[in-house]
Formats: sequence, structure tokens, C-alpha cells
Amino acid sequence: MNNKYQVYAGGIVGILLLTLALSSLPDSLNFFREEKSAMFAFTLTVIMIMLYEVRLAKNSSEKTFLRTIPGLKAVEEAVGRSTEMGRPILYVPGIMDMNEVETVAGVVVLGHVANMTAQYETELDVPVARAIVMQSARQVAKEAYMTQGRPEMYNEDMVHYVTDDQFAYAAAVNGIMQRDEPAACLYMGKFFAESLLFAETGNSIGAIQIAGTGSQTQIPFFVTACDYTLMGEEFFAASAYLSEEPELIAGITAQDIIKVLLIGFIMLSIISRAFFDLGLTDFNLITWLNL
Amino acid sequence: MKYLEDIILKLGAVDRRIIFLLIGLAVLIPLLTPISLPVRETPTTVKFYEGIDSIPKNSKVLVSFDYGPSTRPEIHPMNVGVLRHMLRNGHKIYISCLWPDGIYMALDALEEITDEVNPDNQSTFNIKEYEDYVLLGYRPGAEAVIKGLASDLRKVYTVDAKGRFIDDIEMMDEIKNLNDFAYIYSGSAGYPGTFEWVKYGGDPTGVPMSSGTTSVQVNEVIPYVQTGQLIGLLAGMPGAAEYEKLIASPGIAIQGMAAQSFAHIVIVIFIVFGNLAFFIKQRRDRKY
Amino acid sequence: MLLKRYIPIGIVAFFGALTLSAWFIDNETIETFANDDATQFFDIIAAFAVFLGALNLLKLQFIKVLKQQSGWQYSAVAIASFFFAFIIGFFIRGAYFVGEEVYFSQGAAEEAILALGSSEQIVPVDWGAHVQTDGSLFQWMFKYIFSPLSATMFALLAFFVASASFRAFRARNLEASLLLVAGIIIMLGRVPVGSLISSWVIMYIIAFSVGFGVNAYTRNRNMALGWVLGSFGLITGLGFTMGWPVDQPAIFYLPALQEWIYLVPNLAGSRAILIGIGLGIVATSLRYIFGLEKSYLGE
Repeated sequence: MNNKYQVYAGGIVGILLLTLALSSLPDSLNFFREEKSAMFAFTLTVIMIMLYEVRLAKNSSEKTFLRTIPGLKAVEEAVGRSTEMGRPILYVPGIMDMNEVETVAGVVVLGHVANMTAQYETELDVPVARAIVMQSARQVAKEAYMTQGRPEMYNEDMVHYVTDDQFAYAAAVNGIMQRDEPAACLYMGKFFAESLLFAETGNSIGAIQIAGTGSQTQIPFFVTACDYTLMGEEFFAASAYLSEEPELIAGITAQDIIKVLLIGFIMLSIISRAFFDLGLTDFNLITWLNL
Repeated sequence: MKYLEDIILKLGAVDRRIIFLLIGLAVLIPLLTPISLPVRETPTTVKFYEGIDSIPKNSKVLVSFDYGPSTRPEIHPMNVGVLRHMLRNGHKIYISCLWPDGIYMALDALEEITDEVNPDNQSTFNIKEYEDYVLLGYRPGAEAVIKGLASDLRKVYTVDAKGRFIDDIEMMDEIKNLNDFAYIYSGSAGYPGTFEWVKYGGDPTGVPMSSGTTSVQVNEVIPYVQTGQLIGLLAGMPGAAEYEKLIASPGIAIQGMAAQSFAHIVIVIFIVFGNLAFFIKQRRDRKY
Repeated sequence: MLLKRYIPIGIVAFFGALTLSAWFIDNETIETFANDDATQFFDIIAAFAVFLGALNLLKLQFIKVLKQQSGWQYSAVAIASFFFAFIIGFFIRGAYFVGEEVYFSQGAAEEAILALGSSEQIVPVDWGAHVQTDGSLFQWMFKYIFSPLSATMFALLAFFVASASFRAFRARNLEASLLLVAGIIIMLGRVPVGSLISSWVIMYIIAFSVGFGVNAYTRNRNMALGWVLGSFGLITGLGFTMGWPVDQPAIFYLPALQEWIYLVPNLAGSRAILIGIGLGIVATSLRYIFGLEKSYLGE
């Protein structure tokens, strides 16, 4: 453990030296944006920590502790419930396209859910709002069913395109909920105002609802109306959590370390700014770093 | 007392359709029989108003319509108010749209401005296309459009909404990119909108900008107001109503505030009864 | 394996790294690629991909109609609406100018000329501009069909917010109680009716509510009554002294209180969540770029 932090300390020093060297290049060779030095150093630090943690996880036999995320634990419970009731599972991977990280995360979680539905032989319905998401989600679902040895259960129409328009999509999904009465509704991706429409309709049909999103404005609506909500980071950690792969879990460990570094930096900035505002010094850390 | 408690328990378990009905009435009645309620300006709206007033007269401003019919009640009054304010100060307006629906909102707003008459039955603004405003129209690409505008407007717009070549429009002669505007305003209902304008428009170019957003988005956008990246903010329909009051052009936002007020009161009453029922039920369950 | 695994991972890694480095490298070509070309590549792919989605939609709806499955009538409406919008967008101009007036068809424009005895020429609007022209058929469809439907769906939120709040805002524990109180303050403080509620009314309500707490804690009704009467007396005395200003003391004035909640605790919480989300996005994106996460390929 101590070695790890020594490596990080050394690495950060190296990154700072590299950034300094790049900023000091003569004009003829200068391809580096000096005003972005702080962000560059931070980005390299994040990459270093992430890659090192993954390397440690590959070589270690110890299991990393992850706190229980009730929403993710409930996914299997939701699939089981649907199987018992003989009703389908509705999975909504958000309303945005694959250029959003949240949508990619949603499609990844769909893979895990499809694994479970293949195992339990439960019907899965995935209405999507973007054609590229449809293709990607189909691929992921197909692979899941193949992995579980149930290729005959896979039907490409289980992932189907509805419409690009936000509220037309909401109307269509609400209609599916009202007609098909899924026992479980999973909302994993990027959402806007339609989030409450989904959640309330799901509530009215008595479905168990699990939501996961990084859309900050929609989290309160999901928290209010759904049984379980994965907020922000928990949603991005879902894939690692469900797969239990050490390399992916290492990514979460790296996030935690970076968070500690960020907190330290914020405290330092507050102190620096306080001294600056009190007139005790002319130095302001934030201005100096061009942030 | 027990009889009262039973009534409260019944109210606490009321069918949601009753709630829907009461909310419907709470919104409909004030809209049909207008009730005037005093509107109090908040600092963010005042800052927004002063920000526009501080633009040097007869400047060139970019107004972006980034919303659709669903969020029209909140954003449209803001945008119409901004157009009024800009025109009164003699500014030339350039209208862009990042949403495909935005062009129709822009056409409606311009129609409203054009049809507005003063007490003498004369057109208040008497605006003419290509003299007072240019409707650039919608372009797909979200942030790519803003990045394009920041570097070279003609990369994004070769023709305006009516198909007229940009180079044939006299008002566009001195406009090369965003730096040639004195102010940027975005009436935004989501993506693409305020964030994209701040990240790729206002911040890199240093052109002063502000925005009007839906109430739900205010949470996300307020940090930009605090840091000065947005000069004030119009926050939802209350913000639109405050702005209408400041520019002395009462409109649909001020009318809508009574409906919103009564709807909120109904929700609060239901919440209170719901909690009273919850406590009574808890106490009765404890007894047994 | 090469085609299904390594090449896609390589493409993701290359373009991910290129776009990330564009932020730090001062090179016009890379900058142009990251800022303009990359997003345009995606838009073009997404635009063509819409055909796949549309075909899938039509296929499923046609099957429903042909097999007369439950709800096939709605599918028929969906198919008819699809073709209606498609035809008037791609094949019908829908905007013919006669002077300042716009007509949906050439025939209608000719009839108008005859009826008015006008000598104006019929000017058909350009293709492309026909969907953005004021008064065109496409705009008519947008204004009288699409807009009301969209607005109706959004309006449902008002009802759903009410039922969700009613169901969820219960003072089960301390955190839920804080949420409840903050919610009520924001709901009332944000609208004009909140500014009509005097801060003195809020003070009386608080004193009364604390009285319940005193009663629950001490199980002594006399003590609770004493508290309520005492605090009421104090508030009344203070009110008479200060002249009952509506917005003072500001700490009990709903609009001032809601502004403080928005700008201080709410903003702090929002920023914390945003930082967490940002970190999550960074970590997830790096996992994709370095090929650690391959699930999106179906693995």
C-alpha cells in the first residue's frame, strides 16, 4: 500500500516536470497550450492512477471492497420478480445518442440485464430513441443471449426504435407500460423532463423501478418516484459492480483516490483565496493555474 | 377528534385522480379569470435586465431560440421580452436556432413583435427583416454549430432561413464570427443550450452572454451566474414574469404566475394532509 | 477476432486519444478535427442511421396492423402520420407566395389570384426553406398537430409532480423532513403568493410546530401550551414594535429564504454531485479509451 502512494507521489512529480518542460519549449517547437497546463497535469495524473490501479488489480488476488449499492443489488431481484409474475422487463437506455457517456454506460448495463433475462428466460423490451443506440443495444443484447447459451431466445425486435423526439418517445414508452404492464422498469442513461413521466407511469402500474442517471436535474424526480436510484457516480460504477471484474473495479478505486486529491486541492484553493481576499498575499492559486 | 382524524386519513389516501382534478382546476381557473398577483424581482433577473441595458446602443446581438413547443410557456415569454428590450435599445438582432423546433418559435416571436400595436394602433416596433433582424435559422450539430460560429459564421450559415445568401445580406457584412457580436442570449430548454453556449461560445470568445432557462435547469446553471460567465439569469416562468415587469410589458408569464401560485398551494396542502395522515396512522399503529 | 474486437478497440482508442489531446495541442488540423469534423462525422452517421430506425419502426407497426394485434388501430395512425410528415417534408413544397400571402398549393395560389383579380406572380418557396417558411404546410403541421401534442405531454408533468410530491414527501426521518420543509419553502417562495405571506405568519407557524415537539418530548401539555402562548406573545410584541413589516425578519420571509436555499445549500450540494458525475464521466471515458471496458462491443 505504501509503495503505491510512493509511486503516485513520484508520478505526480514526474508529470509536473513534464508539464513544465512542455511549457518551456521554444516557440518554434511549441505545440503545447500553456494556459491548459493545470488541466494537462491533472489529466495525466488521473490516467496514471487509473492505469496503475488496474495493473495492481490484475496482479492481486485480494478482492476490493465495494460498498453495497442497493439499486444494483435490486436489479437481479427485479428480474426475478418479473420472471415469477410472467411479465416483461422494460429497459430504457436514456433518450440521447451514443456520443453521451451516460448512454454508453446505459447500454453496458443493458448487457448485464440481458444476461440475467437470458438466464431467467424473461421477456425484455428495450424501446430506444436513437437508431445508433438501437444497433449498439442489439449487439450487446445478442452477445448476452449467446453467452448464456440462449440464442433462440434472442429476437432483434426486443430492441426497437421509437422516435427521436423527446415527448413522442415518452408517450410511446408510457403507452408500452400501460399496455404491456412490465413488472420491472429500468431507466439507465441520460434523461431530461420525461423522467418523471416514465417514473410516475411505472409507479401507477405497480412495477418495481430502478433508475440510474448522471443527469443532475432528473435525479430528484427519480429519487422521489422510483424504488431505487443510482445517483451520478453509482450509475457509472454499475458496470464494474455488476461484472465484478477486478480491472473495472480498479477504476472505481482510482476514482476515489482522485476524489481525495481533488478535495485536498479544493481545501488548498479555499485557503489561498482566503489569504488573497484578506490581503495577506498577492498570490491566488486559481488565477495562477488559469482555472 | 377521531372523526376529524378519520377524515384526514381518508385525505391522506386520496386517489391520485382527485389530485389531478384539483391541480387542473387550480391551473385553469386563474387562467380563465385572470388574477393579478404582485411579482417581486429577484437579483438574478435584475442582473439580467441591467446586463442587457448596459449593452452599447445600436449594437449587434445574437439571440438563440433553443427550445420547443413543450417548454414554450416558460421560455417564449422570455425570448419575446428580450426581443422587445433589444429593439427598444436599437440593437440589430441575429437569430439562430440550435433546436429544429426553435425556428418555429422564432417565427412566432417575430410575428408577435410585428403584430404588437401601441394605443394609436400603430405598429410598436415596425421591424423589417434584413434591416432590424436576420433570421439565420436552424442548423444541426449542437455544439459544432457554436464552435463554427465562434470561428467563422459562414462555415455554418451560407444561407439564412429563407434561402438568401449570407453574403447578399447587408446586415451580415461586418459579421465574421461570434466576436463581432456585443452580446449573446440563449433561451434554452436543455441540450443543446446554455451549457454549450457558455462552453463554446461565451467563454472562449469573451463575448458577454446570458440565458433564460426552464426552472428545472436553474440548479445546474446557477454556478455560471455566480462565476460571472452568465450575466444574470431568467429562471423559469417566475423569471420570465419578473422580466416582463422590469421591461414594463406584462404578458403571458405574469398571467401564468397566478395559475402557478395556486397549483403550488394545492400541492402544499396535499403534502400537509398527507403528512398529518402519516403521523395519525403511525400513532394508531403504535397503540396497537 | 481482429475485425470484431481489436479494430473497434483500436478505433476507439485512437480517436479518443486524438480528441483528448486536441484540448492541449496547439495544432490547427487536430483542433479542426476535434472541434468540427469529429462532431460532423457523428451527425452524418446519426442522420443515415435514422433510416434504420425508421424502417424498424415501420416494420413493427406494419406487422401489428397486418396481424391485427391488440391496438393495431394506433399502429395504423402511427404509419399514416409517418407518411404524412414524410411526404409534406420531402415532396410537397407547401408554400407559394402571392405578394405577402402564402398558400399551401399552386392551385390555391392561382385561385386566390383569380378571386382577388391580382396581377401578382406566384413565387414558390425554395426547397429546404419550405420547412422553415412562415405559413407553409409544414409549419401548419408543426403548429397545429405537433406543438399541441408536445405541449400536452409536457403538461402531464404538472399533474405527475403533484402526485409524486403527495406520495413521496413524508416526514419519515430527519432527512425526509428537511426535504419536505425545503420543498415547501421553495414551492411557496418561488411564486408571487409567497411574497404575500408575511414573515410573521411563518414565525407563528414555527412556534406552533415547536409546541407539538415540546409536547411530544415532555409529554406535558401545560408546558407545551406555555411554550406556544409565550412564543406567540413574544412574536406579537416584536411585531408591534417593528410595525409588522411583511419581509422582516428576512430569515422568515419565504422568497428570501428560498433564494438562500437555492444559492447556498442547494448550490453546494449540486456542485458536489456535479464533481462526482464529472469524475464518473472521466473514469468511464478513460476505461473506453484504454480498452478496459469492452461491453459496448457486446463482450
